[in-house]
Amino acid sequence: MTNETATNPTDLGELTITRDYDAPREMVFRAMIEPEQLTHFWGPTGTHTPLESIVLEPWAGGRFETTIVPDGSPPDAGFTMKAVFVDVVEPERIVFREPELDMISSSTFTDLGDGRTRVVIHQTNVPPEYRTEEAQAGFKTSLDRFAAYLAAQGR
Amino acid sequence: MADDPLSTTFAALADPTRRALLARLAEGEATVGELAEPFAMTLQAISKHLKVLERAGLVVRGKDAQWRPCRLESAPLERASEWIEANRKIWNDRLDQLDRHLQQLQTTGRKRTAT
Repeated sequence: MTNETATNPTDLGELTITRDYDAPREMVFRAMIEPEQLTHFWGPTGTHTPLESIVLEPWAGGRFETTIVPDGSPPDAGFTMKAVFVDVVEPERIVFREPELDMISSSTFTDLGDGRTRVVIHQTNVPPEYRTEEAQAGFKTSLDRFAAYLAAQGR
Repeated sequence: MADDPLSTTFAALADPTRRALLARLAEGEATVGELAEPFAMTLQAISKHLKVLERAGLVVRGKDAQWRPCRLESAPLERASEWIEANRKIWNDRLDQLDRHLQQLQTTGRKRTAT
């Protein structure tokens, strides 16, 4: 796997991660929408995602719910995500929204033509109307100054 | 709009004027009048933005009745950046594990084809 992680910390509340996988696009896409597969990789290290906790209706408006349980803890100690799919286009794109956090996550799948697939995860909770170039430039400048400020506070 | 502290922080930061106000306060305390100076905005408009920042806990107003200088409060920003960091870790872990999962899937797939 080419491990290319492009995350810009100055985009507060925004996350972009790019990864290349040595697997065909259809396979990578299916892994992301089949509960039997999600259960194997969805939770971060030290957790698991019980299959019975996954509700996955892969169409616009469908539910997407998972519970991530720390290893060794009872299932009710887990963290439940309740999301709704905004867009599911096989095998190109999956977009879901978490209403509680007002956060949108999109995954795009690009066939690299040599049996590999590029996955780009983009997550944002900044409303699109604020994502103009001007606003972003201002945002970055002020955040750079925040970073300097926080550093000065001894962080 | 959800009313958890993190959402309040992000909502407060979503406006360019409010970010500019915070950037100014990162340089030191200022009165509303001083804060309003570089903006083509009325004091009332600036006060309104400051109220949003105060509610989000990003700005604290002094007790001095006449001047009430504004000060930047960094704790919510730190919580926001901690959350961003944790969220990034979750996705990185997830994508690492997806890679292992896909490799395993292909290995078993190949075995099946071979037999």
